[in-house]
Amino acid sequence: MDELKIFSIKKGIQEDNVKIANITRSELKEKEVFMINVMSSPGSGKTSTLVRTIEKLKGEMGIGVIEADVDSDVDARSVQNAGAKAVQMHTGGLCHLDATMAKAGIDALEVDGLDLVFLENIGNLICTAGYDTGAMKDIAILSVPEGDDKPLKYPMMFERVDALIINKIDVMPYFDFNMTVLEERVRKLNKDIKIFPLSAKTGEGMDAWIDWIKTEMKGGKSNESNA
Amino acid sequence: MHELGIVYEVIKIVDQFVVENQLLKVEKIVLEIGELSQAIPRFIEECFPAAVADTPYETTALEIVSVPAVAVCKSCHNEYGLIEHRKICPSCLSEDFTLISGREFSIKEIAAY
Ligand SMILES: Nc1nc2c(ncn2[C@@H]2O[C@H](COP(=O)(O)OP(=O)(O)O)[C@@H](O)[C@H]2O)c(=O)[nH]1
Ligand SMILES: [Mg+2]
Ligand SMILES: [Zn+2]
Repeated sequence: MDELKIFSIKKGIQEDNVKIANITRSELKEKEVFMINVMSSPGSGKTSTLVRTIEKLKGEMGIGVIEADVDSDVDARSVQNAGAKAVQMHTGGLCHLDATMAKAGIDALEVDGLDLVFLENIGNLICTAGYDTGAMKDIAILSVPEGDDKPLKYPMMFERVDALIINKIDVMPYFDFNMTVLEERVRKLNKDIKIFPLSAKTGEGMDAWIDWIKTEMKGGKSNESNA
Repeated sequence: MHELGIVYEVIKIVDQFVVENQLLKVEKIVLEIGELSQAIPRFIEECFPAAVADTPYETTALEIVSVPAVAVCKSCHNEYGLIEHRKICPSCLSEDFTLISGREFSIKEIAAY
């Protein structure tokens, strides 16, 4: 038998994922489809925020949603009723989407002719943060009831995203959530992040978020290969 | 579960290497995991046996080299442990730093026949 040898590999475990994500990004760019990866804990308001967003933007553009969060099709039906094309993925038990799964969602949605696609990622603030899906922009949603100390507990997510929505500001009076402290904590991790406090329930604060999407779609820079 | 997916990813990469290099048997896989990467070494160790059950890697050992998060201060060039000093330079109290290690998340090497 041959001798036992040591083989140096030095291969990043996520190298392949980043490669696939970069291919997805260039394919989407070619088709002029702008994809936003939406991440949050379960129940922070991903679907509600998307419904509001779709209602505001559907007159101007074709919108699609890839629903990956829950296995039932309730979320997909909500965004469909709001006016988007939607597809439900079955991700039972998974904790994040990687670039291969995101690609499967994009193919299932058939994005040709769409302008804007949202990927509602699996409700998880830790695992999703580590994976490039091929989206042009990554955003996170934090809701007021979750508390202003989340950036201290889950820094990876806040370090990585381009924008942060603070949802459910309509219930601010009932929680001791300090927006100034929250912003300070987030900026310490990510000084260029955009922060949009809003309420998907009342619609307050939606305009700044909508404007940001439109600006980014018009040629805001994309996030080439964020690992 | 997250870590199980990671282990499958590792096995896939190793398997490719084994085929390409026509190796017979992998005795050990060595991973390098930075303190700031999102993988938790203990969880990876725990789900490794489940991931390799009934595969050619059933008897392969797993070793994890943990890499500390080390930063260099941008103001005074002092090198310090990022986590133990809570991202603040212990010599000048600046919070501006460049990370020099801690995000590693790779397969370092394998021992094989
Ligand atoms: N008060 C309040 N409730 C909200 C708001 N946005 C979402 N919710 C509620 O929060 C719950 C979870 O919302 P959903 O959009 O399904 O969250 P997801 O799991 O992140 O998609 C639902 O009961 C929503 O009605 C908001 O701005 N204010
Ligand atoms: Mg949802
Ligand atoms: Zn210093």
